[in-house]
Amino acid sequence: MSGTKKLGLRQRYEHMTRGLDWETTYQPMDKVFPYDQFEGIKIKDWSAWEDPFRLTMDAYWKFQAEKERKLYAVLDSFAQNNGQTGISDARYANVLKLFLTGVSPLEYAAHRGFAFTGRHLRGSGTRVACQMQSIDELRHVQTQIHTISHFNKYFDGLSEFPHMHDRVWYLSVPKSFFDDARTAGPFEFMIAVGFSFEYVLTNLLFVPFMSGAAYNGDMSTVTFGFSAQSDESRHMTLGIEVIKFLLEQHPDNLPIVQKWVDKWFWRGHRLLGIVAMMMDYMLPKKVMSWKEAWDIYFTEAGGALFQDLARYGLKMPKGAEIATAEAEHISHQNWCTFYQYTHAAPFHTWMPDNEHLDWLSEKYPNTFDKYYRPRWEQWAKMDKEGKRFYNGALVQLCQTCQIPMVYTEPGDPNTICFRETQHGGQRYHFCSDGCKDIFDNEPEKYIQAWMPVQQIFQGNCGGPTVPDVLNWYNLKFGVDNMDYAGSPDEALWNEWHADKVKAAS
Amino acid sequence: MTHQLVIEPLGERIEVAEDQTILDACLRQGIYLPYACGHGLCGTCKITVLDGEIDHADASSFALMDFERAEGRALACTAKLKGDCEIEADIEEEPDQRRIPIRDFSTKVETITPLTGDVKGLRLRLENGPMDFQAGQYVNITLPGIEGTRAFSIANAPSDNGAVELQIRRVPNGKGTGYIFDVLKEGDSIKLSGPYGRFFVRKSRGGPLLFLGGGTGVSSPRSMILDLLAEGYDQPITLIHGVRTQADLYGVEEFTALAARHANFRYVPALSSEPAESGWPGARGFVHEVAETLYGGNFEGLTAYLCGPPVMIEACVNSLMRGRLFEKHIITERFLTAADAEKKSRSPLFKNL
Repeated sequence: MSGTKKLGLRQRYEHMTRGLDWETTYQPMDKVFPYDQFEGIKIKDWSAWEDPFRLTMDAYWKFQAEKERKLYAVLDSFAQNNGQTGISDARYANVLKLFLTGVSPLEYAAHRGFAFTGRHLRGSGTRVACQMQSIDELRHVQTQIHTISHFNKYFDGLSEFPHMHDRVWYLSVPKSFFDDARTAGPFEFMIAVGFSFEYVLTNLLFVPFMSGAAYNGDMSTVTFGFSAQSDESRHMTLGIEVIKFLLEQHPDNLPIVQKWVDKWFWRGHRLLGIVAMMMDYMLPKKVMSWKEAWDIYFTEAGGALFQDLARYGLKMPKGAEIATAEAEHISHQNWCTFYQYTHAAPFHTWMPDNEHLDWLSEKYPNTFDKYYRPRWEQWAKMDKEGKRFYNGALVQLCQTCQIPMVYTEPGDPNTICFRETQHGGQRYHFCSDGCKDIFDNEPEKYIQAWMPVQQIFQGNCGGPTVPDVLNWYNLKFGVDNMDYAGSPDEALWNEWHADKVKAAS
Repeated sequence: MTHQLVIEPLGERIEVAEDQTILDACLRQGIYLPYACGHGLCGTCKITVLDGEIDHADASSFALMDFERAEGRALACTAKLKGDCEIEADIEEEPDQRRIPIRDFSTKVETITPLTGDVKGLRLRLENGPMDFQAGQYVNITLPGIEGTRAFSIANAPSDNGAVELQIRRVPNGKGTGYIFDVLKEGDSIKLSGPYGRFFVRKSRGGPLLFLGGGTGVSSPRSMILDLLAEGYDQPITLIHGVRTQADLYGVEEFTALAARHANFRYVPALSSEPAESGWPGARGFVHEVAETLYGGNFEGLTAYLCGPPVMIEACVNSLMRGRLFEKHIITERFLTAADAEKKSRSPLFKNL
């Protein structure tokens, strides 16, 4: 062996990056970093932060450039080969509508959140990690828009996605989730998004969408999924490092972190309800049921994680048991809601056919035949009689998650769950104990929430009638909304299909 | 069919089966490589192939770029060996670890000493030269007529390098230990190889040390403590040795004498099942309970070395972490059998615990 020993990867990276930050002298450090104390998190030693990944900006650009080249090659070939005609069924396009209006803007919000957090945490390792994740998230939203823009040439309900994300009633659910995280302090944001979302729940969001795309012939979406997932390693590792770092730095951090984990698990669980509905009702070719996905990704993988976190004294998130019980119900309750309000959402709904109902019965033996199949059969009967059921009332919303109050009592699926709190002479409503607890902990924050239904009543949404509001959403009635049966999407699909049959004969 | 894999910067050499991934082989040998998804999509487990040929298998073209493949990078979670290989992985290098080549030794049984009813002390004289080893390492011994090898920690100090001392508890119905207890006698020849393992004292860190040993798990701590005291290590050293009853306790005279000679060494034998009326004046309870009492539940500032059965290790890790001592300062060696590795899924939260 030679006399000078080769440095390990970690040491090489440390030599290159450590010491790049400095103690400010023109201004006190506390003024330069004004937001990293008020949350009560105590950091004794920022240098104990372990860089979870060792990547220089130079290498970063090189990686991302090649990922982009590959992705765009696939997108080009998908477009040139009219890939949109090869998907399983035009109903699948509604999955993309849900994703582009509900999820892609969250990538952008995450980009902004990590940029802010990176600026306001004083440890240099953490700052670099946040900066890279911030740029990743920007790349994700761009590639998603580019991928789905091809579908926008053919299908309705996609073109107004940023406008709709800011205005449409149910899109306030994902929007308010990230607004809540981004208006918290930097440490809470890291636990909310870096840990709870990117680590604990990410597999329940991205795997269903990406495998759904693969099962339904959408290779372009699968490819942006792969491209994004190759960044996720850094995001997940960052989430893990964050929670370990906070818990190891000071014992006073534990109760604060526990409260955030409880809160963001519950908010995440509520947000994922749209994924549940997508998996169980919207994919023409099913991947697995929501319940199965929940068992694999939360009960098993999350269980192993929280078993390890127990060594720090951190407990399973409050509400985990209720959330697991709700995995039997949530997709059904959500799709029932969108079925009733099909006139007010910019994607199409449909009645599950018999084969689909049988699949649901098989996947949900404890609940589907008892509670939900009779409902679908009744609505099918009404539809046949020319009395398709629409719900004309404006819904009451949960003040925290902003989801209509459609969920049921734990253990009693025949009773809607209502909770309320009095604050400042006003009564606020909640869909669950989880959401009520979150409000009660920070009422001054949540009373400021922009509640879509209340805003309509206050006259801030284009006018008092449904057409006024839909117009304000930029939602084209009879085009973007209503049942798939009879939609322009369906007509176009049938036209393509007829062409194919003609070409084959 | 297996291939040899050398892992830098450790210099460790392991066997990898034809259809086994590099990650799987490393984890089973107790060598932690960073990983996350486990199936070629995320890129957390990226390694560099320094020499030899591998098959990338299902590595995603986004997680492992073409230019990276050209530069010899690979994903440990999918890559399989096509021949003998050398890789460099993102493993923290330990300044105190020495690279000692593993050798085969012929030995003669010098003494067999009963230590308790079911523990014997073996001293094996090395016949073809001394063995260089670090306190805490182990040897694999081959017993006549018994398939495979048996691993035992070295109980003597590295300075006493002409022999290895082993402390062996009889495993009920165990073939290997059965042979040692029933057949083996002084003067017999045994073959062994060593030294193995990455359990050693992080001397360069300095500071007070806590050794927790359960049963014959005290062998490594004995070697380590003898070594430290002989070198004049002047920081506080505590050994808690846990066994069931007084009848299971051994080494008391030696450790008591050491404690009398060295003001910085404290020896605490702890009994978990000693009858209440026995008059035992010392500590009672499991190792982790005695440690909690001794330190008032606060272990900050220590480096702890743990050696013993898995339940004891688990209980001690939990106590130490509750007492604010974390992974970086808890040193233990996991012996994973194939069955252990499959038994339960763990999160990637901890590397070595």
